[in-house]
Amino acid sequence: MRPRRIALNAAALAVLTVMIFPVYWMVVTAFKPTADIQSETPALWPARPTVEHFATAIGAEGFWTFWRNSLLVTGAAVLAALVVSLLAAFAVARMRWRGRGAFIVAVFAAQMAPWEALLVPVFVIARDSGLLDSLAMLTGVYFMITLPFTIVTLRGFLAAVPAEIEEAALVDGCTRPAAFRRVVFPLLAPGLMATSLFGFITAWNEFAFVNVLIIKDQGKRTLPVWLSSFRDVFGADWGATMAAATLFALPVLVLFLFLQRRVGVGMAAGAVKG
Amino acid sequence: MPAATHAPAPEADSGHRHAAPPAARRAGRRLSRAWPYLLIAPAVAGGVLLLLYPLLRAALISVQHFRMRELIRGGAAFVGLDNYRELTAAAEFWAVVLRTFAWTAVNVVLIVGLSTGVALMLLRLGRRMRTALMSVLALVWATPVIAATTVFQWLFQSELGVVNRLLAGLGLDSFQGYSWFANGTAMFGVLVALVVWQSVPFAALTLYAGLTTVPVELYESARLDGAGGWQVFRRITFPLLRPMFALITALEVIWVFKCFPQIWVLSQGGPDGATTTLPVYAFKIARTLHRYDLGSAVAMVTVVVLAAALVGNLRRMLAQEGAET
Amino acid sequence: MKQRLLAAAAALALTAGAAACGSGEPSTGAGPTGLTVWIMDGSVTDELVERFETDYEAAHRDVDLDIRIQAWDGIGERVTAALASTDPPDVIEVGNTQVAQYAAGGGVKDLTDKIADLGGGDWLPGLAQPGNVDGRQYGIPWYAANRVVVYNKDLFAKAGIDSPPRTREEWLDVTAELNKGGDQGIYLTGQTWYVLAGFVWDEGGDLAVRDGGRWKGALDTPQALAGMDFYKRLQALGRGPKDADEANPPQHEVFARGRVAQMISVPGAAARVLEVEPGMEGKMGFFPIPGKTPGRPGTVFTGGSDLIIPEASAHHDEAYEVLKALTGEKFQSDLARTMSFVPNKTSLAHVLGSDEGTAAMAAGAAHGRATPNTPDWAAVEATQVIKQYMTAVLTGKDPAAEARKVSEAITATLGGGS
Repeated sequence: MRPRRIALNAAALAVLTVMIFPVYWMVVTAFKPTADIQSETPALWPARPTVEHFATAIGAEGFWTFWRNSLLVTGAAVLAALVVSLLAAFAVARMRWRGRGAFIVAVFAAQMAPWEALLVPVFVIARDSGLLDSLAMLTGVYFMITLPFTIVTLRGFLAAVPAEIEEAALVDGCTRPAAFRRVVFPLLAPGLMATSLFGFITAWNEFAFVNVLIIKDQGKRTLPVWLSSFRDVFGADWGATMAAATLFALPVLVLFLFLQRRVGVGMAAGAVKG
Repeated sequence: MPAATHAPAPEADSGHRHAAPPAARRAGRRLSRAWPYLLIAPAVAGGVLLLLYPLLRAALISVQHFRMRELIRGGAAFVGLDNYRELTAAAEFWAVVLRTFAWTAVNVVLIVGLSTGVALMLLRLGRRMRTALMSVLALVWATPVIAATTVFQWLFQSELGVVNRLLAGLGLDSFQGYSWFANGTAMFGVLVALVVWQSVPFAALTLYAGLTTVPVELYESARLDGAGGWQVFRRITFPLLRPMFALITALEVIWVFKCFPQIWVLSQGGPDGATTTLPVYAFKIARTLHRYDLGSAVAMVTVVVLAAALVGNLRRMLAQEGAET
Repeated sequence: MKQRLLAAAAALALTAGAAACGSGEPSTGAGPTGLTVWIMDGSVTDELVERFETDYEAAHRDVDLDIRIQAWDGIGERVTAALASTDPPDVIEVGNTQVAQYAAGGGVKDLTDKIADLGGGDWLPGLAQPGNVDGRQYGIPWYAANRVVVYNKDLFAKAGIDSPPRTREEWLDVTAELNKGGDQGIYLTGQTWYVLAGFVWDEGGDLAVRDGGRWKGALDTPQALAGMDFYKRLQALGRGPKDADEANPPQHEVFARGRVAQMISVPGAAARVLEVEPGMEGKMGFFPIPGKTPGRPGTVFTGGSDLIIPEASAHHDEAYEVLKALTGEKFQSDLARTMSFVPNKTSLAHVLGSDEGTAAMAAGAAHGRATPNTPDWAAVEATQVIKQYMTAVLTGKDPAAEARKVSEAITATLGGGS
């Protein structure tokens, strides 16, 4: 057993190293002085660590506004998607009705939406209805991008909550909404949080729509725009870009570490129930 | 258990099954039949307004003469299927379609294969090592696409990149100053590495969670029967998790097929078109050549191709769901 | 109307939480007119912007100027979207190779009748021509910059080279001598395509030529191939990556490490080098890109910017006044001195300081050229075919075959425009 154990751990270590290296390189580069970043013998550890790139990144114009906008748009989109999905997922997981199969297939198919190709139509629609430079429009798009996956996942979580518990509550005289609120919801809360994570990552990362929907009112731009702003005609400021990327990844990471265990379990539950 | 609490129900609700008179019961049933439709209404409304409507607009653009001038000034003329005709007549388009299939196949096979390996590994690891590996997977998943892509560009730089440095250090001298981005196959390889690296965490964590639901006794009895590791996987694990593998594979097919920012940032579809997949092709045509009409046609074809590729999956889904009703 | 309702309903229904943030500030008739100006990152310093803004607002009490620096990433999409929007910025800076495309798209105000008022008689042709489509002037020249050779004086001294090369052959010899030990003779990335353009023009070739009514890619002519061959020989005298352009990694950062003898760049890059490595102060020299004969420096690509006024701007007259100030002598002098740029008119050349970098640039500027004058040229640049062609040749592919391929691609792009 012993040699097997060692081999297993060695393999795990190898996977771990390969996986983490790019992230490690991003963080380390963020701490290197510019002169060392262009070294012909890249050092695995910053010999002269500096926080100047973080200062540049945070000091960039509009940093806090972008931060606020990103949180607002992502938060609103994820929240809206959660509420809407919860209703739909409940109908799918707990009720039998005509058109249910078609609805499920439509939700699955909606994930195939070619969003990059919808930039122009969405722009035209927003322009013609006076919704350019509006965070609401951006939120709506992000809501829609995250909605299908949220429904699929939430349905899995719901299916994992035994219907019997709910039935029991109904028999005990609870109304359906009350039974849902008192019985199902507490069991579902971890699933809701886990589902929100995926939506959060997706919406947090999106940048193509910001570029065509937020035009003149630049106080409404979001963080991904900031992330790519350390680049001018002379080239990218890699140190600042890496520092910005590190800061950009932080919220997702914090949220993830907080929710990590529940995510996989929920996905599994959903998937197994198919 | 909150289920035990007796809550007084509002009068008008169908909750009072036993007490309600027949007329009220009928009304209640009608209401309860409307419930599912009311519940999905917001989702359907969202889908119609924010997805179907733009999609129809894109379809409309694909049968118009719609370029920069029409975008700015309006007044696009209807041209029928001209754009589709132009598209299907181009040899490049068919090459792109084939390449997109190859791209999807290579990535999905690698992602599902590696994720399964990592998930099985997680199951067998000690607690500390497992936590470490899972945290790293989470870290990778949480790294923003744009950031990860930038880092890969940096890693594979020909003169100052750390990958060439490491390979040369291992004695592979031909990698000294090797131009990854100059060779179609090498570029393709770098992109596969990036996409697989980004996709493995989600699939592996999900599969691992699935694996933990398989009762340990099943493994043990199989082992007692003398089954080896591979046989256990084939005879017990895989059949039990088949729906899960199917779902993950289908999702990865969609995501990899549509994968865009990574390719665009790293290679713009080059060198010499070697990494131009359908979404990149559509974007190139629409945004750099300002042929929004032709680009929309590509997008429409993309949707059809993807749906066709997954039609078996969709059909199985429909049959399954239908059987449940 | 139906669309408006649908989309408004969508936004309202789905995003009640964020809706409060969706309203812009309406411009009331009473207050000063708000004007938005877009300027590219790196064109002006913050100080210069503030100075202009303060001065301008002091002189025009009825105008509230909002100057926004634009990041390069995704700028093409943003400008296109802005031109197509109903409330665009009022003045936009666009690259001189991009301006024709926007003008041809129909969203840019025609300023032909203002040429005289702006003193357009002696605009730099490399800026004025691309701004002119079918005889109408849409883009107003703003500033130009062309590339020179920036060299490391220490490394030149170490190699015993005391005067800059004056011909291409001399240049190759000198660079070979400098390319010793850990030092690179020249850091030339494989995809610096406007440097290639200069060599091609010097040989008598071109990127594309007009043949009858049609544009054709011309990189497969013997002249163009000779230019590419020279590029290849020069590029080999250093370790510039063959599959990247000079922005990636930024070449001034590589140069700043002191082991690179020469790089080809606008003189303004010297300031960037000093930001990274203050120790390079006084160690940088400049000379024009050498030509085929000692008497004449090499032909260079004139890079630069034009200013445009979007057709959809609600304040054409006010925007024009701002544009006039930005292109006028006072601001041009300030801009040229601060940023080491070439001013938009030949008659303003005297405002350039007498420092080595700008002198070298001015010597080269006399032989400046622009990219082929067609609105579709921007699309050729965007598809990156020339960069990919260069990488292919530099990594050992057959130049003639690759040149034929890229020329066909250019022909197709130039023929398939709007």
